Amino acid sequence: MNQYIFHPFVLPFVLGMAFVLTYCLVGLVRIIAQLPKDDRKKLWRSLVTPKTAWANIRDLFGDCLFHVKIWKRNPILGYMHSAIAFGWFMIIVIGHVMLFTLKPLQGVEVEGFARTFTNFYYPIFYKHFATETPVFAFLMDFFLLVIISGILIAVVKKIYSKIVGVKRVTKFGFADNLVRFALWTIFPFRLIAEKSNIMAFWWLYSIDLMIFMCMLPFTRYMHIPTEALFILLQHAGLKAREPRKGYNLAQLYSCPSCGLCIDACPMSVNDKNSGNTSAYFMKMMRNGDSEDAKRIAETCLMCGKCVMICPVSIESCDIKWSQRAATPYYINSDHSYLDDCGCGDASNASNCKTPSVVYFAGCMTQLTPKIMRSMKQIMDAAGDDYEFLDKDGGICCGRPMLLSGKVAEAQAMIAKNTELIKKSGAKKLVLSCPICYKVFKDEYQLESIEIQHHTQYINELIKNGKLKVNKGDVNYVYHDPCELGRAFGVYDEPREVIENVGNLRKAKSEKELSICCGGSLGSFNLTQQERDEITQNSVNDLMFNNPDEIVTACPLCLKTFAKKSPVQVKDIAEIVCEKI
Amino acid sequence: MKENILIIGGGAAGMEAATQLQKLGLNPIIVEKSEKLGGHIAQWDRLFPAFHPAKDVVDQMLDNVKGVDVRLNTQVTDIQRDNNGFKANLNNGEIIDAKAVVLATGFDLFKAERKQEYGYGIYNNVITSLELEKFFRTGKDERINNPKKIGFVHCVGARDVKVGNTYCSKVCCTTALKQACEMKEVFPDAEVYTFYMDLRMFGPGYEDLYLKTQKDYDVKCIRGRVCEVSEDMDGRLVIKAEDTLFGKPLRMTLDLLVLMCSMEKNKSIEAIQQKLGIANNSDGFMQNKDMYLGMNDSKQDGVFVAGTCTAPKSLPDTIGEARSVAVEVFNYINNK
Repeated sequence: MNQYIFHPFVLPFVLGMAFVLTYCLVGLVRIIAQLPKDDRKKLWRSLVTPKTAWANIRDLFGDCLFHVKIWKRNPILGYMHSAIAFGWFMIIVIGHVMLFTLKPLQGVEVEGFARTFTNFYYPIFYKHFATETPVFAFLMDFFLLVIISGILIAVVKKIYSKIVGVKRVTKFGFADNLVRFALWTIFPFRLIAEKSNIMAFWWLYSIDLMIFMCMLPFTRYMHIPTEALFILLQHAGLKAREPRKGYNLAQLYSCPSCGLCIDACPMSVNDKNSGNTSAYFMKMMRNGDSEDAKRIAETCLMCGKCVMICPVSIESCDIKWSQRAATPYYINSDHSYLDDCGCGDASNASNCKTPSVVYFAGCMTQLTPKIMRSMKQIMDAAGDDYEFLDKDGGICCGRPMLLSGKVAEAQAMIAKNTELIKKSGAKKLVLSCPICYKVFKDEYQLESIEIQHHTQYINELIKNGKLKVNKGDVNYVYHDPCELGRAFGVYDEPREVIENVGNLRKAKSEKELSICCGGSLGSFNLTQQERDEITQNSVNDLMFNNPDEIVTACPLCLKTFAKKSPVQVKDIAEIVCEKI
Repeated sequence: MKENILIIGGGAAGMEAATQLQKLGLNPIIVEKSEKLGGHIAQWDRLFPAFHPAKDVVDQMLDNVKGVDVRLNTQVTDIQRDNNGFKANLNNGEIIDAKAVVLATGFDLFKAERKQEYGYGIYNNVITSLELEKFFRTGKDERINNPKKIGFVHCVGARDVKVGNTYCSKVCCTTALKQACEMKEVFPDAEVYTFYMDLRMFGPGYEDLYLKTQKDYDVKCIRGRVCEVSEDMDGRLVIKAEDTLFGKPLRMTLDLLVLMCSMEKNKSIEAIQQKLGIANNSDGFMQNKDMYLGMNDSKQDGVFVAGTCTAPKSLPDTIGEARSVAVEVFNYINNK
């Protein structure tokens, strides 16, 4: 074949490309085949439903190419990633568009099958084989330089990550480092080859591409093709099931190991534990390193901060949960007592009137009676008629069992509680514990009964004038419990309540960035000392503006902070009660 | 001239150390932050295991330190080393030069509010072991109103990972049994229960007290922790616990609940401790040099420790340590 149509240096690229396309196709079929039937149906339906189809298009561009979420968190990293990914994408697109305008250097045109073959590599090496119009030439050079500017930032980040605002970066093994090096050198080689037409650089460029594509499936760069699929699956509304199959497999391979979750994770306060963060967990799950992955799945506090901060929106807590569910822990549980459970508050039983509110304190609130007493006083002061469902002790909401992956055991309790709550006839369920709140919101089928955490309930009472409070001059700081804030976005109601009774000071990290108190039920195996370090870090963060008191809305956070706080820690119900 | 020895803390350890140091020909100076000497023990009514009046012991100790230089209502605000030993600034403006420092700073009682599930400060009928001693001394406590059923909870703030204290507070077991017997003496008709994890009757006569508690006083000892306390409609306390010997949860209604609060390190000394370079051990108490032959030495030259500042201890333990610290200080001064 004529050297102006073909040159052997294109072969490494052609090989790599053929390999990666085949691999991805097989992977795609495999993941879809692993989905349960219902999930598959959901996926097909979502592709043709206008609403999800639009969301797919929006996020495929917004997340895969422009990385909107990284821009929002850290503009420098956002630019770095967009420059490389979007720049590369544009070079590929423009290259293919150019096919129609390229003029062969020696006027040798190819036709038929040979034309299809040359089209495969022409856009990649076009400068060696053809000339282009000045507009295209400019665009190609422009995007190539954009990519190289992104790579420069990546190199700086690798040498000194703090410059780009990242404290800890993910540590990689040989394969990842090799591919990263290939990625960094692809574009400078291309630039030199295009400008000088020295054969050696065309070879280097092509070999780099081959290394990149042949190694891609075995490294973090697999996130490039997988993320697109993951976005479709996520929009179809699929949920984590088996730890390393179907939807979860797509999640695992969509993780780019960027490491933004390492700094975010509350466990990273101790350097030793920064290896327990989601970035490493995903890597271990991908590599089939099941013992370590299982350990991390059990260590995680399930605070959800990594999920919130993840630029790919990977639900790593759900993957950990499905890993737990797949582990046969021995729990000797006996739920026969559920059959004998009565129907709540005896004092209200004789009262035939249907209460408007049913209050469920939950086990943790039973251990913090100040909250219960404050809630009673608040409901009495507001004149709401309520039934105190677990006044004499109740049934667990089911969350601890769910956190250990024990679905059937949890469902037994959920069913009984549902029965008791419906029996009360109330239209509203008020909870004091965010741990309960999460499970009631996610798992209970209470139909028309409105579920509120007491922060929302109290805020409503104040707003509609049922509860009168006096504003004092105490400076409070509010701690967002993970399962109220990050899980359900209840950020404003507690703050509004606090501003009604005193002054609200800001913590260093607020709302979705709030740091777990360290007491979370989520973790099975963090030692007390490791938990204490997390608590101390969280307290320091809250004390940033020297508040007089720390206010939280979770009985577990309250008890945890009380150990380490230099100031008093109170529940939001307590401070409201003080100001009635 | 007699060498000055600065003793921080005027409780049992501080007084006894001062007594012995004086006998050894040195000049101890006690700096006590409260208005009188005696420390915690002066707030106690009777002592285990033989119901000996605490006042007798305290009075004798006070008598022994009569000639000792004592600064009451005084605290050390700053301390530095100099060529002659230590220079301590007191909050009354005085400066004391001393050759050696004895830390006899004792303990703080665990704040029962921190164990909110026991309801101290929330329910009227929950009191602490210290408050019960005060009732025995004065006969007055409006919360103690001819109770018919009384419970004692052991290990409040001790051996409890959740409050951050994993150590045993050593004296609460015996104190609880002593107080349970005393309650039976005051209210013979009352039923008295104690909820324990283990009963650690480590001293002479303590095990006998345990047998007597059950045989002569009919106190019922239940092995199991109380998990939560609430109030019923009549304001009586409803407790939930587990009887681990029967392997069954139990629920009981009580008129009075007494919390056996543990010892925690006295935090008010932290600043001075840091200036002297004394670290804490894993239980948060002060670290001594070693637990066998250097229990009164700290890792800093010329700084000694005695009593409950290093770990929870009984009164006899504390007195023993106070005497041994006097010998350590004496040898230190003579070998200088």
